[in-house]
Amino acid sequence: MKKGMLRIVVLVLGFLIATVFWQGSNNTVLSTPAAEENLAPVLSLGKILYEERCMQCHGRDGRGNGPAAPLLSPKPRDFSSGKFKFRSTESGSIPTDQDLIRSINEGIHGTSMTGWSDFVAGDSLTSVVEYVKMFSPRFARETPMPVRVGSPVPSSSSSIATGRKVYQTLQCGVCHGEDGTGKGAIATDFMDEWEQPVGSTDLTQPWNFRGGATARDIFLRLRTGMDGTPMPSYTGSATDIKLWHLANYILSIGRKPVWEMDEHELREHYASIDVDAKKDPAKWGRYLVRVFGCAECHSPIRADGTLIDEYLLAGGQRFDPYPFGVYVTYNLTSDAETGLGKWSDDEIRNALTKGIRKDGSRMLPFPMAWPAYGNMKEGDVKAIIAYLRTVPPVYNKIPGPESLNLFSYLWGKFRMLILKDELPAYIYPGNSGTSRADVVTATGTSKYPSVEEEKQ
Amino acid sequence: MKMKKVLKWIGIILGCIVVAGFLAFLYFIPPFTSIPPETFIQQTASAGPSLDDIRDPRVKILAERGKYLVTIGDCSGCHTPHGEEGPNLSKYLAGGIKLASSAEGAVVSRNLTPDSETGLGRRTDKEVKNMLRSGIRNDGSIVSHRAMPWGTFSNLTEEDRHAVVTYLRHLKPVRHKIPESIQKTTLEDPNAAEAFYGYDYAIHQEK
Repeated sequence: MKKGMLRIVVLVLGFLIATVFWQGSNNTVLSTPAAEENLAPVLSLGKILYEERCMQCHGRDGRGNGPAAPLLSPKPRDFSSGKFKFRSTESGSIPTDQDLIRSINEGIHGTSMTGWSDFVAGDSLTSVVEYVKMFSPRFARETPMPVRVGSPVPSSSSSIATGRKVYQTLQCGVCHGEDGTGKGAIATDFMDEWEQPVGSTDLTQPWNFRGGATARDIFLRLRTGMDGTPMPSYTGSATDIKLWHLANYILSIGRKPVWEMDEHELREHYASIDVDAKKDPAKWGRYLVRVFGCAECHSPIRADGTLIDEYLLAGGQRFDPYPFGVYVTYNLTSDAETGLGKWSDDEIRNALTKGIRKDGSRMLPFPMAWPAYGNMKEGDVKAIIAYLRTVPPVYNKIPGPESLNLFSYLWGKFRMLILKDELPAYIYPGNSGTSRADVVTATGTSKYPSVEEEKQ
Repeated sequence: MKMKKVLKWIGIILGCIVVAGFLAFLYFIPPFTSIPPETFIQQTASAGPSLDDIRDPRVKILAERGKYLVTIGDCSGCHTPHGEEGPNLSKYLAGGIKLASSAEGAVVSRNLTPDSETGLGRRTDKEVKNMLRSGIRNDGSIVSHRAMPWGTFSNLTEEDRHAVVTYLRHLKPVRHKIPESIQKTTLEDPNAAEAFYGYDYAIHQEK
């Protein structure tokens, strides 16, 4: 009798505690399928880990729209469609758990997805996999259809020679270039099913092969295709044996990464980068603009720090380096009226590398980092200008800098120079430029929320 | 009598000059927009260490590439604390700038120099790359991409990332202990989303 009572008390207490915790964690969660129903223990652990470590890129609802997502290239995976590129299953099939575990453990090479094997293992790994699977109903409905890998064909000079022929027969060079580097490829402008531009992989850089660089990994990419991208499954066009030969050939054309090169090779490599930059400046400029994160400041942010995809590079982020006044980042898109459309190359160069505005006035040495950009090689500056010319126009009229009134300014300087107060530079949410109510963007029509709407 | 009047006037004029001079000092110092741009650019260029002493030519070429990327990528903008007239180059990349956000709390930029107790000397290449690529701290948690813009640095190629880390290993070690990040923070201006404090927070906190 007493034992039974105790059991009931424990159960009731446990339930109460669980409810309190559940509601506590629920407050900050947007409506997701997971939040609406009671979670099995494995899923609640998965949810905690996911929201701590995956959400920044993949988003709370798994749609690949986390706060950091707009900056990433390629974009983080949208889990909601249940479509995965790196599988050991037939084209169109959902991946196996082992496939997902592999992607988490090893990461996706050449992307922002680092391998997590140092941080998750065992139950926590399983729970994350189970949680990720919840984002798409396909995992509950379908069973994965693994392909038969068979036994690999060992690499040999004859296998590589056969593979080379297969490369030609299957016309891999149309996308990947005759030499595998992508140079001279005919088909280069692709969109994936998530409407993101995708380039063809440089087959001479095996450390960047997203799904791994063993012969088996490459065989699987050829055999299963990469769902959602223009890379099809070649199972109808070539036998498995031929695909193994092709995998061996692809591995044979890999070049050395810089950490394995000798002095001479390194010098040649870096010289060739400069040559390539000259040949296709916009492509190199895109890399530099992405790496230096121009968009990090030249886009409006939401109160939680998320950048807005549609307004990437269109300026509008307000920055108040007290007491120096109010600055709104400029519109770097090619819009003729409000962006760089009518700026000459020299005007862009002066702003970027010397901090001189179009009207000849000078910028402060911060927050715009022109003292750093002024050290760029001429080729890199040209590349950035070439790329900015290709950024689709977005109308966003940016107000000029505003000074504080004389008294506030002097008082601020007094605090700064004499009192040595810790004065912050504030950054404000919302778009401080004037946008058209409806702006037509590459992804359709979108209305940017006003500053007031963003604040709440 | 006359003498006194003259002295009084001299006093008044001197007083005015002192006050005007003080106000002018407040107004013009630091003279950011009258210093030629080249001075700032040169200052940024010469902030990093010389790499001439590196014996292995392979490492030297990689470090040079890394130095170029670190310089033009402006790591120093957040990782070198400011004095009154801009970055304090004796603490080049030694961290200490506080970045606060109403959503994420405050973080303090870390010491990137190879110092073995307070800097990246404690971290493996892989750990540094994890941070640059995905914002992963050593305990597996993730830093806000707005505080440390790993979202943009993740676009570095693996080879360039390697060059950056190679260069960071050759910075001048600076012993500069960075306080732990602060979880909760309230910004003085409730309308702001984020705040950037240029001062060396490591010193400020000790006061």
